[in-house]
Amino acid sequence: MNTTDRLVAMANQIVANLLHEPDPAAAAAQHMQLFWDPRMKRLIHEHDGHGLTPLAAAAIDLLAKNHAAA
Amino acid sequence: MTQRLAQAMGLDWNYTHPSEIMDEIARLTPSFAGVNFDRLDAEGSLQWPVNDQAPDGSPIMHIDGFVRGKGKFVVTDYVPTDEKTGPRFPLLLTTGRILSHYNVGAQTRRTDNVAWHQEDLLEIHPVDAEDRGLKSGDWVKLASRAGETTLRADVTDRVAPGVVYTTFHHPDTQANVVTTDHSDWATNCPEYKVTAVQISASNGPTNWQEEYREQATRSRRVVQAEPAE
Repeated sequence: MNTTDRLVAMANQIVANLLHEPDPAAAAAQHMQLFWDPRMKRLIHEHDGHGLTPLAAAAIDLLAKNHAAA
Repeated sequence: MTQRLAQAMGLDWNYTHPSEIMDEIARLTPSFAGVNFDRLDAEGSLQWPVNDQAPDGSPIMHIDGFVRGKGKFVVTDYVPTDEKTGPRFPLLLTTGRILSHYNVGAQTRRTDNVAWHQEDLLEIHPVDAEDRGLKSGDWVKLASRAGETTLRADVTDRVAPGVVYTTFHHPDTQANVVTTDHSDWATNCPEYKVTAVQISASNGPTNWQEEYREQATRSRRVVQAEPAE
């Protein structure tokens, strides 16, 4: 498993474990914002989205938007 | 010395006294805002946070209550691991440590503690051992989707049927060749307690273990030199 595949698996896993939250995508985006290294964020933003669940893709979009707004 | 190294690397460090470093920490770190060498000399010690809210420090925190209440409870779903047993890997391996070695054993393996634990053993239930024709002391191959190693079996009912256990104290075994790269979602802590494995009888160490042992022995040779005096 290469690094990007690993990040995709991690993003899917984070969302799966936050489904109890009112807004799982926002909660997952916040988790990645707080705990992912800048290199991890850059790699996942460069990825074409292949393999991501719809909620994980939404979380990564939110992460990018929050990053652009900051 | 540190300052000279920093200067050699191009940094403009010109501290004349450690107190200037403490002042810089106080300026940059809100919870140390009220700490300086004069106050430390006068008080003996100060317990952080030391700031406007707690000018004399905070020897005991949370006296009136925790910052966000008594606790935060959330309902979580059970999310099973992706690591599954199946026909090829029907047993679950869990790894751990034993009392006589500290952490992985890098320190205690150099002591007489090895008398209590000379090698990693694979603990396997009598039913699982009988199915595979194994008895205590036999070499067994321990294989997962990630890799394989060999070690000796210890047939015991300390483990449940379907579960095998070993320790990770000896580089000759390298239990983490077998464990996977699954991890905890929140902290990325590796999943060392759940690996689907198969066990089979073996003649002895795998090729990589033989090569590792040769390399380890070769790289630890010490030249016998005459004492200088």
